[in-house]
Amino acid sequence: MRLIKTFLAACFAVTMVPMALHAASGAPQPPAQNWPHQGLFGTFDKASAKRGAQVAVEICMGCHSIGLVKFDQLRKLGFSEAEVKSLAEVQGRTKIDRMNGAMDATAAKDAFGIVPPDLSLITKARKGYEDYTYAILNGYLTDAETALVQKVMADKNISEQEALELQSALLINTDNKEHLKDKLERLTGGASYNKYFPGNFSAMPQPLSNGQINYADGTENSLKQLSHDVVTFLAWAAEPTMEERKSCLAKIFAGVRGGSSPPAEVWRQQPTKVFLLTLILV
Amino acid sequence: MSKIMEWIDARLPVTELIKSQATEYPTPKNLNYWWNFGSLALMVLIIMIATGLFLAMHYKPDALLAFNSVEHIMRDVNYGWLLRYMHANGATFFFVAVYIHILRGMYYGSYRAPREILWWIGIVIFFMLMGTAFMGYVLPWGQMSYWGAAVITNLMSAIPVVGEDLVVWIWGGFAVADPTLNRFFVLHFLLPLLVVGVVVVHLWALHAVHSNNPVGIDLHEGKDTLPFHPYFTIKDLYGMGVFLIVYCYFVFFAPNAFIEADNYIPADPMQTPAHIVPEWYFLPFYAILRAIDFLGAYSKLAGVVAMVLSIAILFILPFLDRSPVRSFRYRPLSKQLFWIFVVNAFVLGWVGYNPPDASLFHGAVPLILIGRVSTAIYFSYFVLLWLITALDIEKPRPVPKSL
Repeated sequence: MRLIKTFLAACFAVTMVPMALHAASGAPQPPAQNWPHQGLFGTFDKASAKRGAQVAVEICMGCHSIGLVKFDQLRKLGFSEAEVKSLAEVQGRTKIDRMNGAMDATAAKDAFGIVPPDLSLITKARKGYEDYTYAILNGYLTDAETALVQKVMADKNISEQEALELQSALLINTDNKEHLKDKLERLTGGASYNKYFPGNFSAMPQPLSNGQINYADGTENSLKQLSHDVVTFLAWAAEPTMEERKSCLAKIFAGVRGGSSPPAEVWRQQPTKVFLLTLILV
Repeated sequence: MSKIMEWIDARLPVTELIKSQATEYPTPKNLNYWWNFGSLALMVLIIMIATGLFLAMHYKPDALLAFNSVEHIMRDVNYGWLLRYMHANGATFFFVAVYIHILRGMYYGSYRAPREILWWIGIVIFFMLMGTAFMGYVLPWGQMSYWGAAVITNLMSAIPVVGEDLVVWIWGGFAVADPTLNRFFVLHFLLPLLVVGVVVVHLWALHAVHSNNPVGIDLHEGKDTLPFHPYFTIKDLYGMGVFLIVYCYFVFFAPNAFIEADNYIPADPMQTPAHIVPEWYFLPFYAILRAIDFLGAYSKLAGVVAMVLSIAILFILPFLDRSPVRSFRYRPLSKQLFWIFVVNAFVLGWVGYNPPDASLFHGAVPLILIGRVSTAIYFSYFVLLWLITALDIEKPRPVPKSL
């Protein structure tokens, strides 16, 4: 017993250490957000996903594709056929088309130096999942932070105090001033800084900002709301069968509870039959 | 009904076989729950073959189509998500069952005479499972699939003289590509069917010598045994229920817990992921492979040899253990070695999970050092077990004469 306890404690310790190790290096951990579709029985916030579909079609799909989803499938979120048609028209497509953007791969490569990744699985394909995608959309510098960078770069010299301020504003885990200066030079040279992107510089300029589009349902159009909605939509796009999966077991249990297991007497008298029956049921 | 059975039995003694090998098969009455994991592994094998068969009906083993065909299964095939998540998590639970099954055999001395052949067949099954799992992981053709395949197949190039040509032959070209995927699919389909055959031989060998038991002594049939049915059918079913609850939790509520996020990115031969990690069940062996990096040009070959040896050494375990007592329950020193071995396997897994240049305490303890020490501990289990038993250093506690 004592050995088993030691063993369990060791397993626990061994699984905890990598977390400590991981946190110490690389890009900062994206802050955890509240996603109603997560958790054991969480379901998609359909209203949010609908708004997110609008953001995705009107903004993201300018460069990205969401090719594993067809426009017509958006009706599962509650869009009417007419609404789906008009969403498809935004990108010059019809409702039976896949959600591919207007920009083709070669044009995108010319513009950004890289083909923008397809977003169909983006919330499953990056560590940090929904939180990561949300953090990227909110990880660009605010006006105040941009002003700080310009102030620091005005005299081309980083004081101790400024280095500390930069570290907390840009979420950089380094006190190496040369390293900081390199980043600031790229930044003022026009590259897009992102606090949560590994290496901090992605080819994507800030895609969303406050009040960028007006929601059809009149919801507030802040950056936080836009990015929350679009991530909810992308989570749905990444696994449209999630709700079916989570509710599946509950349905099975409801079915099993209709019957009941054979009484002990039957077990004793007809063990073989009960055994075979159980096997079939299993 | 009985007349039909009589007719059949006169020609093929089915009833007699079921009686002697299943319902009335004498089974030690003191088996504990660690003895459930053989039947659990068989259950997972059946789940894997059943789900795999239906997945194969929708999957396309083509470098251009494979990734999207998996997503087609997830999205468009009725209950395709269930098939795929059962299959992907089934691999994890297969190895959970098999590792516990192997460790149970090591702890209670199930490899000792007269069960050596039974034990060897088990190791053969384990090797076949590892091959099957590795090739199965390549099929979704995500980034980890591709680069995992590249890293592991590349190891073959360490083999002297023929290595380089062998790798090209395995790849079907000069890199992991479409021909590799296609043949891995064929082999991934074939191997489990061969596993079924070897499992039948495993059961045959088991029924020839009968089950070992926690006390590790030879039993008197009738006095110390119970008929398999209903006593162990119900116990196995209960174990399956518990096991399936945990399995279903992952399938339905956390199906991606064991899947690297990178594998949802389509394979891209031009872009190497930041960290290439194998599936969790290969991590300890991956750590052993990487631990040997101090032999210059021979490091790669030595690493591969050490990795293969870490499992192959189980073949000679029956001859290394010279103790008069089978079960570690009565062997204080062996028991301690065993638990050090188990905890050490987790340490190796953790080392294998982290990047090779990682370190603890801000660079004070490089992980590669921990990997080397853990590898040494892993192999010293076998040496020490032999030493303490061959030189009679261990004084076993008294063993009961009967149950």
